Formats: sequence, structure tokens, C-alpha cells
Amino acid sequence: MTSLKQMFSTQTRRMASLSPWIYRINAGSCNGCDVECATTALIPRYDVERLGCQYCGSPRHADIVLITGPLTARVKDSVLRVYDEVPEPKVTVAVGVCPISGGIFRDSYAVLAPLSKYLPVDVNIPGCAPRPQAIIEGIAQAIAIWRERL
Amino acid sequence: MIESLYTPLAMLIFPGGLFALALGLSLKGLDRRLAARLQGRVGPPLAQPFYDLVKLAKKRTMVPDTACQPVFLGAPLIGAVAMALAAALVPIAGFYTPDPLLGDLLVLLYLLTVPAVVLMIAGSASGSPFGAIGFSREMAMMLAYEGPLVLVVAAVAMRTGLGQGGLVSFSLPEIIAYQQTHGAFLFDPLLWPALAAFLAFYPANLGIIPFDIPEAETEVLEGPLLEYSGPALGLFKIMSALKAVVVLGLGVALFYPIAPDGIAGLAVHLVKLIALMLIGVSVVRVSCGRLRIDQAFRFFLKWPLALAVLSLACVALA
Repeated sequence: MTSLKQMFSTQTRRMASLSPWIYRINAGSCNGCDVECATTALIPRYDVERLGCQYCGSPRHADIVLITGPLTARVKDSVLRVYDEVPEPKVTVAVGVCPISGGIFRDSYAVLAPLSKYLPVDVNIPGCAPRPQAIIEGIAQAIAIWRERL
Repeated sequence: MIESLYTPLAMLIFPGGLFALALGLSLKGLDRRLAARLQGRVGPPLAQPFYDLVKLAKKRTMVPDTACQPVFLGAPLIGAVAMALAAALVPIAGFYTPDPLLGDLLVLLYLLTVPAVVLMIAGSASGSPFGAIGFSREMAMMLAYEGPLVLVVAAVAMRTGLGQGGLVSFSLPEIIAYQQTHGAFLFDPLLWPALAAFLAFYPANLGIIPFDIPEAETEVLEGPLLEYSGPALGLFKIMSALKAVVVLGLGVALFYPIAPDGIAGLAVHLVKLIALMLIGVSVVRVSCGRLRIDQAFRFFLKWPLALAVLSLACVALA
């Protein structure tokens, strides 16, 4: 009986991990990484839908959160609020060098990077902007982390 | 004993409930796969909609502070149950005839409006401005496509009724039996305008491009579904999967229910549903852009309505 229950839970976890839905938050990005995410890495050419990924319009539907940009002071509260709207379990991915260190904006008074001071970041994808292949690899790693959390 | 179990079983297991859900999710999987192939990519696994449902069952449901909780959580349940019941009302030619006590075509018409009403209620109960926009768009769409649908159904019912020597027949088994002896309505020129109107109606009812205006994710962030997460969102996915089976099944019953008896009838029915889904949904949605709400509204009150009226007039006069 317990083994049956265990098998059921591992099976449902395996199936659930095949359906990671993605939501993007722009935390004051220059739009370079957003272009890489939205129009290069996650479009038909590289087809992350075969991993089960789907872009969702609402943070409440999301499982994996991609955050771009150096977290400017002006958007900080909004970013944290939208991040809280994503239901658990979730995985956070920082895309580009900006959320990691601030990148070329690191000395600005208006920039609060690194992002990990405010949010638990699970995967970093460095680059300015990262290559589509790097973003897809980052998402694949995020899926592996997400499977553990389910 | 067996007789009293028949109706609940029809709603819960076959052909409503579990069977219709599995069928609807498989149809969605096929649709996503074909859409991906048409766009030159590999696409998700065929079982992707099942994975999505399991995932949603494991997530947390969040209720916004501004939402009215009982309505917010009750709406998706009502929608899913109504569609499970509707799926039990759609006959499968040669294989399954619904109990006349359950209801006829008119009950089915009423049940078909439930998902749209439920989405409207959900959108307004969520307390989100995007939900409110989704609400108003859903209502406009419903006003636009319900009229043509009722007239299409009336035309088919009248054709059957007049053919049988009566006036109208709103019984789906009678409509199917009439077509099996007199030939399918698909090949009846009097009903071609009605068929065209029906072909315009069902993308709007299923909420696919070019008529996915209430849930347009790039404009109103999925509108009424914006605030839903976890199992509650899963119930909406179940509702839409069941709705696909009901609407496509209704189309098959109204226009081309020619099928052999027995298990072969079921197989033929499945093939028809798959063909209708792939040709009528996948190909349409990858080859169109989304219309604006006013364009869609005007379109429905112009062409499908006119075609349905034309068909009804032809049937009445012939």
C-alpha cells in the first residue's frame, strides 16, 4: 500500500515537472535580455514548448520566473509584489548579468542589484545579453530544481 | 437497479466525465502538436494537457483579497460539472443514445452557455480590472454567437421535424435517425448556410484565435483567468477540454452522424472529432490573427446570423 502511494507520488511529480510555465518580470532591464528571452530563445526556432514550457500572461499561472534587469529603485516594490503573486512551488531564474551584479549599471545610484539581496535566486544565466542556448540551458536547470520542490 | 445507475454513470464515466475529459485533453494535445508542426517546430508531447493538469493539481490556489471567495472558487466547479453533464447529452451515432429523461437539444443549448456565464462570473468575482474587461468581452462575444447557434439548431430541428411530418424535432436521437435514413445534412444544400454559420460559431465558443478575445493573453492577460492558480485553474482547463468534446460532438450529431453500429460507431465518431479539431481548430488558429471585439461582434451579427436565417428560411419554405 505504501509502495503504491509512493509510486503514485513519484509518477505525479514526474508528470507535473513536465509542465513548467514561464513568466517574465522586467526589473528595469535595457530590453536586451527581454529580446533574447521573448523573441529568440522561446520562439518557434528553439521551441521550448517541447519541454512543456508555456509563456503565461499572469504571474498566478507561473512556475518558473525569469527576471531581467538590474532591479532599479523605482520598480523594486512592483517586482517584489509581482514575485509574491507567483504561487509556490516556484523557481527563480536571473537572466543576464544585470540581476547578478548590476552589469554596466552597477555604479548607478538608482540600481539595487544584486537581485539575490531581495529574492531567492535559484539559477543565474550570465551574459550581456545571454545567448538563447544559455537561456534554454538555464531553464532546463530550473526545471530540474523545480522537480525537487514539487 | 441497473437502470437507476445508467444516468449517473453516463455523467461521470462514459460518455461524460472521465471519458470526455480524456478525449478532450487528447484532442488538445493533438491540436498543440499539429499547431507546432505547422509553425515548423517539434511541439509538446501529446500528453502535455494531462501533465499540465497534474501540475496544476499540485500548485497552491491563491485567492485575491479583493475577490468574493465563494463565487471565485465555486464558478470553475459549476462550469466543469455543467460540461460533464452536457457531454452525457451528446449522442454518439450507432453507439450511445442519451436517456431522454436527461434532456434534449434545448437543454444542451442552455448548458452550452454555462461556460461563458461562468467565465463572466469568475472575471467579475476576481476583483481584477483585467477580469472586468474579460467579463465585458465575454458577454459581447456570447451575445454575438448565441443567436446564430440557436438559429442553426432551429434550422436542423425544423428540417428533421418537417421531414418527419411534424414541425420541429429537438431530439438529437431523432435528428440522427432521420439523417441515417435520408442522408447526412452535410450534403443537404438547404443546410449549407447553417453549416457555414456553425463553422464560424465553434471557434468563438471554444475561445480560439481569431475569437479568443475575452482571454487574449497579450492584451488582457487571459482576462477572467488572470487571478486563478492551481486546482481552480485546472478546473477551468477541464471545463474547456469537456467543452471541446461537447461542441465538436454536437457538430457531428447535427451535420454528419453517419456511422456503423457498435464499437465501430465509436471509432468513427472519434475519427470525426479528431478531423474536426485538427482542420477546424489547429489550422484556423495558426493561420489567423486575433480580431478586435468590435470586429468579431460585427462579423457574427452580419455573416453567421444572415446565413443561419437564410438556412432557416430555406428549410421553412422548401
